[in-house]
Amino acid sequence: MTAIPLWVRRPAGERVGWLRTVDHKEIGVLYIGMGVAFFAVGGLEALLLRAQLATPESRLVDPLTYDQAFTVHGVTMILLAIVPLLVGFANYLVPLMIGAPDVAYPRLNALSFWLSLVGGIILYFSFLAGGAPDTGWFSYAPLAERSFAPGPGVDYYILGLAVNGAGTIIGAINLTVTILLMRCPGMAISRVPLFVWMTLVTTILILGAYPALTAALVMLFVDRQLGGHFFDPAGGGQAVLWQHLFWFFGHPEVYIMVLPAMGMISEIIPVFSGKPIFGYRFVAGSSVAIAFLSFGVWAHHMFAVGLGEMENAIFSATSMLIAVPTGVKIFNWIATMVGGRIRLTTPMLFAIGFIAMFVIGGLSGVSLAVVPIDLAVTDSYYVVAHLHYVLFGGTMLGVFAGGYYWFPKMTGRLLDEGLGKLHFWATFAGFNLTFLPQHWLGAVGMPRRVFTYAASTGWGPLNLVSTIGAAILAVAMVIFAVNLVRSLRSGEVAGDDPWDAFTLEWATSSPPPPENFPVTPAVSGRRPLWDRKHPELRDPS
Amino acid sequence: MRPPAEAISALALVVGAIALLIFIGVEGALIYAVLRYRSSRLPAGRPARFERNTRLEIAWTALPAIVLAVVFVLMLGTMAEIGGGGVEPGLRVRVAGHQWWWEFSYGPVTTANEMHIPIGTAVDLDLTSADVIHSFWVPELGGKSDMLPGTTNHLRLFARRAGIYEGQCSEFCGVEHAWMRIRVVAESQADFDRWLAAQGRPAATRGGDGERIFLANICVNCHTIRGTAAAGAAGPDLTHVGARATLGAGVLPSDVARMRAWIADPQQYKPGALMPRVPLSDPELDALAAYLVSLK
Amino acid sequence: MSETGFIPGERIPPALSVSLARSAKIGQDRTLLGVAVFIASESVFFLAIVLAYLAYRDAGLVTAKANLDVPRTAIFSVALFSSSATTALAARRASRGWLVATIALGTVFLVGQGSEYARLLASGIGPGRELFGTTFFTLTGLHGLHVLVGLVALFALLAAHIRRPSALRPVAFEAVGLYWHFVDAVWVVVFSVVYLGTLL
Repeated sequence: MTAIPLWVRRPAGERVGWLRTVDHKEIGVLYIGMGVAFFAVGGLEALLLRAQLATPESRLVDPLTYDQAFTVHGVTMILLAIVPLLVGFANYLVPLMIGAPDVAYPRLNALSFWLSLVGGIILYFSFLAGGAPDTGWFSYAPLAERSFAPGPGVDYYILGLAVNGAGTIIGAINLTVTILLMRCPGMAISRVPLFVWMTLVTTILILGAYPALTAALVMLFVDRQLGGHFFDPAGGGQAVLWQHLFWFFGHPEVYIMVLPAMGMISEIIPVFSGKPIFGYRFVAGSSVAIAFLSFGVWAHHMFAVGLGEMENAIFSATSMLIAVPTGVKIFNWIATMVGGRIRLTTPMLFAIGFIAMFVIGGLSGVSLAVVPIDLAVTDSYYVVAHLHYVLFGGTMLGVFAGGYYWFPKMTGRLLDEGLGKLHFWATFAGFNLTFLPQHWLGAVGMPRRVFTYAASTGWGPLNLVSTIGAAILAVAMVIFAVNLVRSLRSGEVAGDDPWDAFTLEWATSSPPPPENFPVTPAVSGRRPLWDRKHPELRDPS
Repeated sequence: MRPPAEAISALALVVGAIALLIFIGVEGALIYAVLRYRSSRLPAGRPARFERNTRLEIAWTALPAIVLAVVFVLMLGTMAEIGGGGVEPGLRVRVAGHQWWWEFSYGPVTTANEMHIPIGTAVDLDLTSADVIHSFWVPELGGKSDMLPGTTNHLRLFARRAGIYEGQCSEFCGVEHAWMRIRVVAESQADFDRWLAAQGRPAATRGGDGERIFLANICVNCHTIRGTAAAGAAGPDLTHVGARATLGAGVLPSDVARMRAWIADPQQYKPGALMPRVPLSDPELDALAAYLVSLK
Repeated sequence: MSETGFIPGERIPPALSVSLARSAKIGQDRTLLGVAVFIASESVFFLAIVLAYLAYRDAGLVTAKANLDVPRTAIFSVALFSSSATTALAARRASRGWLVATIALGTVFLVGQGSEYARLLASGIGPGRELFGTTFFTLTGLHGLHVLVGLVALFALLAAHIRRPSALRPVAFEAVGLYWHFVDAVWVVVFSVVYLGTLL
């Protein structure tokens, strides 16, 4: 069994190694590796936070360490784990799915990855260089100004995020051009797999949103290093300007983190239901609607800032509106399953878990768009619960679904189904135990980002439950790690098309050769591989 | 008028009920689809072939939009109500957030960390900050409002029943964000008037050892005790500190022993707090703590 | 070779094989499209900085009126604006001469901006001096940085053209030219907002 090479089938001596590779598949794997590593680090940080909060007035962790931990936890999970994981899958899969030999600019692709990684390393270097940032992932001014954050932590935050962001922007340019110009013959834009559609929408979101963050970071840099006054109220600046710029980036960022995962399950659910996706055009079109609206909702993060009733009402309306295209997606996924023959494999379980959990995150999101409710629970644990239902219950379950689904393509071996199902159920239980109680904690008054809470508040028991849930979640991740290692070494050999799938990436070997396809494919429908396997059942073109 | 907190709860109940219905409907459909169409439960055969239905798409686009429009209209009503609804407040209090304590000003009378309000009266807060962004939140009395340096925001509170309402800062404001608690004492108008009159008087105890020690040390750089020479403005006003139930914005209950321990080493209880350790002898600490607690 | 590999040319309906972006030239060439997408993203970046400038414009207007030299900067701006024409000519004819002219005009502009900075700094106005200093130096400095990057790209193009003109794809001229036009267009906005804005 071990005779099958795990990564890329190439003649000996042809591989240039991980450091110099410009192959989109290897860079994709590098991105995913980066994401997995930072996900583990961010997870350990989260465990530290949960350990501290398990009991009231705990002195396990000192406040400064706690503040650093939740700051880097947020930045790590969002920018160094989730985004690289999703960009990694896109890097690996998009050229395969559209029948291209590589991305548009392979060398630039390598640069993107290395910039993203170096950004993360810069951020973490702060621990060795005088203290990590401790102002939260959105690092509000003036707390992040030099007068209140004199240490170097925020400077590392600025530099790390700017470098990481440059990598992400360049990567987005690359994928945009790849999708627009490198599709194989017959691969009309109305035929590309939905994962590619959602990647395209995501890259456009990145191109529109990340520059606002870079601009905000530059201004914060000017304030901190050159004595500027952009966000310095004492010098006439406005603290609110940072919030506008940050959330103009920050809210599209949420969709940047969710849409590719939605794309993944839009591939997985049809395959394991044995049916084409229901309402392809609506699933694709709703992504465009979400992208468009996501640039007009940022101030719903700022209802308590005092922008004015009118402004709040307008941003509330746009934020509610975004629930409509999101709902369209959920209904179409369920309609895809109806009438199918559902194979409950591990990827399918995670995909179903995504829908189930994302519905909760979506509904709590709508409640947060309602201004008075937001005024009650914003900046509380209710928001912490909400965002984790979206980003863990949603995105991460989607990433796990994608991981189980495409691991055989990337490695030539299947992940173990038994361990996979155990992983799923432990994750499901641990996740809900951790985050469900936090809705209640927030509603009764527990603010986010507190390193402890008074015993008299009565928040102890639910916090303990939440911490126990986090421990179960940690066990689930260990199960996943065991599965990864064992399957890499001795998993069942997958073959080219282990899932009886629809799309082009399964039409080449596992793992694919360097040039992806021995000959350029040509397609005539949305499910090229299916049409080929079942000519009598091919989709009408 | 209805207290803002009650108006918000009522709205949240309606929105929550709608959300629960949608939750049951969607999750129910999902579970039904999974159980009904599991291949292991189905006889051999091919899956169905339907993949589009424009009428269905329009329906499940329009229906949520209508539900959301209803929520939006309900929301506008509640927003107008909690914004004051044209009712003039019976009391206005100026609140300034500081790293990591609260300053409450009732006209010329200033106190810290513990505010009193009369019941049955609309109270408007004028909120600002002396340093970074804070956020005022007492869940049972109203919504929250951020407090930004250089800006004044407004928040309405209303208490129906007498009692003690607790809250705390809810915008991360630095290392001791967790110990920036608010204590609101809601009481009858008569009790409130008595309290305010007492707060307006200068220090109750004069001329003792404690006062001498206080005035001779760096305490005066940051704290005010009206009626003495101490007129610092960086820390909480201590004119009636003995009348407050807690120390350090909620980190300790207040009595002589804890006051002594707090002065002896504030950093032990509130690491990162801006109050330094003042080198004092044991007898000095005893006298100072007794003096401060006597300032009722 | 995979057992399910595809045969090229298998039943392609010709109408559907035409993709979204294949009508214009920018929509056909990888390099040009990449530069265009990059420029679109950069526009958001500059928009954010310009909006910050406008948000604080009133607070800095007195200092701006007293210290900015509009006529002098207008002359240097003409240098930059005319370099858009020279770069277009350079691209059309793949001409080394017009390339050199573009570089010269761009350099003149940077020298002008440098002397403006020197004058302001000498009179005590730096990025730490009031909101005007902060916003002015950030906005014009970031634009100047982009001009500098453009000059480096033009130099690289010139060097490559001198070394082996035949190895250079004509699109390289167009790509650098596209970026240079963008840098120019940003200055139209910055000059209007910062300099002409003081005349209002």
